[in-house]
Parts: sequence; C-alpha cells; structure tokens
Amino acid sequence: MKPLPSNPDPQAKSQAELLYEAQQRKVRQFRTNVAFSWIFLILFLGVLFSGDNLNLGFSLIRLDTEFISENIAFIGSGIGVTIYISLLSIALAIILALLAALGRLSTFPPFYALSTFYVSLIRGTPLYLQIFFFFLALPQLGIVLPGLWAGVLALGLNYGAYMSETFRAGLSSVGKGQREAAFALGMTQGQMMRRIVLPQALRFAIPPMGNDFIAMTKDSALVAATGFVHELMWRATRVGRSNLRNMEALIMAAFFYWIMTLILTAIQSRIESRLSRGDR
Amino acid sequence: MPDAPSSTPIVKVANLDKYFGRLHVLKSLDLEVAPREVVCIIGRSGSGKSTLLRCINFLEEPSAGIIEVDSVRVEGGEKGKRHRQLIHDVRLKTGMVFQEFNLFPHMSVLDNVIEGPVTVKGMDRLKAVELGEMNLDRVGMFFKKDEYPNRLSGGQKQRVAIARALTMEPKVMLFDEPTSALDPELIGEVLNVMKKLAQEGMTMLVVTHEMGFAREVADRVVVMAEGEIIEIANPTDLFAQPRDPRTQALIDRYRTGGG
Repeated sequence: MKPLPSNPDPQAKSQAELLYEAQQRKVRQFRTNVAFSWIFLILFLGVLFSGDNLNLGFSLIRLDTEFISENIAFIGSGIGVTIYISLLSIALAIILALLAALGRLSTFPPFYALSTFYVSLIRGTPLYLQIFFFFLALPQLGIVLPGLWAGVLALGLNYGAYMSETFRAGLSSVGKGQREAAFALGMTQGQMMRRIVLPQALRFAIPPMGNDFIAMTKDSALVAATGFVHELMWRATRVGRSNLRNMEALIMAAFFYWIMTLILTAIQSRIESRLSRGDR
Repeated sequence: MPDAPSSTPIVKVANLDKYFGRLHVLKSLDLEVAPREVVCIIGRSGSGKSTLLRCINFLEEPSAGIIEVDSVRVEGGEKGKRHRQLIHDVRLKTGMVFQEFNLFPHMSVLDNVIEGPVTVKGMDRLKAVELGEMNLDRVGMFFKKDEYPNRLSGGQKQRVAIARALTMEPKVMLFDEPTSALDPELIGEVLNVMKKLAQEGMTMLVVTHEMGFAREVADRVVVMAEGEIIEIANPTDLFAQPRDPRTQALIDRYRTGGG
C-alpha cells in the first residue's frame, strides 16, 4: 500500500470537511429564505386586514377593532376550557387505545373481536355524530350527560380508536428477542410487559400521540355544538353572531388555536429530542 | 473430563422430544452435564442445536421429556401453575446469552445488568448495583456502565449481555451462538470473556460454530445432526478421529473455511 500523502498544512481542511461546510451553508441559506417568506406572508395577512385605503381603486378588509378589544378577553378565556377538555379526552383515549391495542394483539378471540369491533365502529362514523349521540341521543334512554362529559367521552372514544393503531405498532415494534431476554431472566408475563415492552412501545408511540393531542385541541371545537361548553369556539360564535361580527370573532379564535398549536408543537419537539437520547 | 461425567450432573436432559407442528426437530435426546463442565454443541444449521439449548430454559416448551437443572426437575409438555413455577425456578438457575444480544435499548448498561436481580429477585438496588458493577468489571465493560446499548460495538454489547446473565448468579450459562452476529474482528473479545468464565469454573453449554474455541475450551463436544446427538467426545479425540462421517464433514468444512 502506498503511504498517504502527508498534509503540508495541518490547518487545511480535508475535501470532506469542505464539502460538508458547503452543504451546511446551503441548508442555512434555505432556512433563512423560508423564514423571510414566512415574515412576508404574515405581513401580507396583516396588511390585508388592516383596512388601509391604498388608493388602488379598492380598499382592504376593515376589521372592527373596537369589537376586538371588547371581546378578546371573553374569547381568550375559553383557552382554559379547550385545554381542559383536550387533556381529559386524551387521558381517556390513551387508556382505551392501550386496551384496544392489547386486544388486537390478543390470541383470545373475544378480546380480539371486541377490539376490532370498537375500532371499526368508531372509525366508521363521524366524530360530530358521536358527540351528538352522547349529548342528544343518550337522554332518550334516561342518561343525561352534561355537554362537557358528552364531549370528553366522544373525543376520548374517537381518538382512542385511532390511537390504538399507533399503540399496536408500538407494541409490535418491540422484538421477540426482547421478550425472550426478559423471560430468560425469569420475568413473569406482567414484569416483562411493565419493565421491557411497554416502556419501549410508549417511547415509540409518544411522537404520534403528541400529534394526536394537538389535533384534538382543534377537534374539541366540535364540542361547542352542544351549546353548553364555553370553550374557544363557543365563545367566538356567540359574540360573533350576536354582534354580526363573525369575521372578527372567528379570526380571534383562529389566532388563539394557531398560537396554541405553535406552542404545543414546540413542546412536542423538545420532548421528542429528549426521548431520542439513548436509542434509535 | 471423561465421556460420562463422574459427579452428579447439574444439567440432565432425558428423552427430550420437540416437534414444530409435524416437524420432529429433537428426537429423544439424552445429555448430562457435570458441574464446572464446558460443553460445546456443534452441528450444521437446522440440526436442532439451538432448539436443544432453548428447551433447557423453556424458551421452547419441550413436547416431551425431562429437563433437570440443579435438582429442579421439569417434565416437558405439561401445563398449569406448578409447571410455570418450575420453569421459573429453572430460569433462575440458568443464564442465557443470545446471538442477537437482546440488550434492553431503553436502559443504560448498568440498568440492563441490574434489571433481573431487582425486578425478578427483589434484590436491594444498592446491592444489585454492587453486584452488577462487579460483573461488568469481570467482562471488562465497567467503563461503559452509563452508556446506552446502541452506543456500543457488537462485541461490547455481547459482553454486557454476559454480565447481565451473570448478575442473576446462575448455576449454568447457556450460550446460543454468541459470536455469530459479530464482525470477525470482534469475536475474540467475547470468546476471551467466555474462556475466562470457563476457567473460573462456570458450567457452560455453548452452541457455536467456533471450532477453535470448542477445541481449546470445551471439556466435551456434542455433535448434532437432524435432531439427534450423533457423537459426544472430548475435543482432542473428536477433532483427531471423528467416528461419524457427518462429524468429519463438519470439521473439514470449518478447516477449509479457515475456522
């Protein structure tokens, strides 16, 4: 083998380093351009709704600023209820999803059937219908649920059915070797699940669960339809309709949902980067 | 070590049968292993050698026959609570090392090693850590105790897996092709750890393709073919004058393969 050519200047960068740097420069440039475009789009939206007359032969959309400042606190105070509903529903959904996933992996026919039946029924009907079923149809049987609980039940059942797929994938992602290693150490079925399989399955399922939670904060707006849950959407439609200022009211609600989503997404990506420590 | 171990065997396999559906993979096997003995099991793939090993700690349930480890006697093919309890007792007396390591990826190296004692035996955590660190030191992996398994090389992973099994303080160690998933340059470090264990007097059953290891470390070599033990001999005799032509073929294959 020929000896490698000696490097005359130890400070000089290798070909690979130069290539890597060039690539990094390109990536940074792209990100900067995207950021600028975002700022432009936000400014455009701002100008569009500013109501300024630009003497171009048409005037921009004018929002009722007085209405906005009078009602922003009223609408904004619905955020708490929205988050409250979402947290209760996601908790219920996680429990149902886990049970459904275990049922789906069960070799006992009734469990398997119950799981697939539940998922099929829920996925085969609209969420909007499910909310109304709990709120309007159950009273016919003498079961009267407050709007909030009807909403939480419907959202929990609905998301549980969808999330069960995520959990099933998470449970199947834990290889047979992991179970065998646990058994070889003398673990019982329960210890193996609790200590080895579930922690790995949950880690796998947490990123999609975060997405589901963020989606749920927005689907919780459907609960407003019951008319008895004073969350963001209910408050927006209420003041919007009574003052004929639906555009302002809905823009405010949209703004709050959007900010909530941005914050939750940021939290989620932090959790994800912490979870990725250690494996995969 | 003589062909038939003189002291009371610590592992006894009698009339072991295993079927996978209609496939008869183990045909009425008998095997006894003496305390402190190292037995290597060789054979072509599909000969049933891994299945034999996995039947000893019931990762495969034997279809029929008797497995006895350190006076715990289990009949294959039974069911029920008592049977499960006996299997549990056997598993506490055996440590297993897998071809694919099977370390727990969500735990640090040290947590992998102390998981068994803490969860299964209910051992005090501090005591388990002490024991675990001692065993990590034994396999030369103490310096990586806070790492996660995916940061380790294959050889390092397997050494940690050996430490994990040792920390359960088993009477018998079962090795299922421990070096088959390793890059050639990493095989040596694992074999050295196993050699050291053998020298310390551990009873070992090793399914392997490493003829060099079998020749150097084994007290007896078991040769399997088509679900049967076709030959048991000490390595010197076996490699010098195999009785069965299939053993001869096996040895020749590794010789020409440079193994």
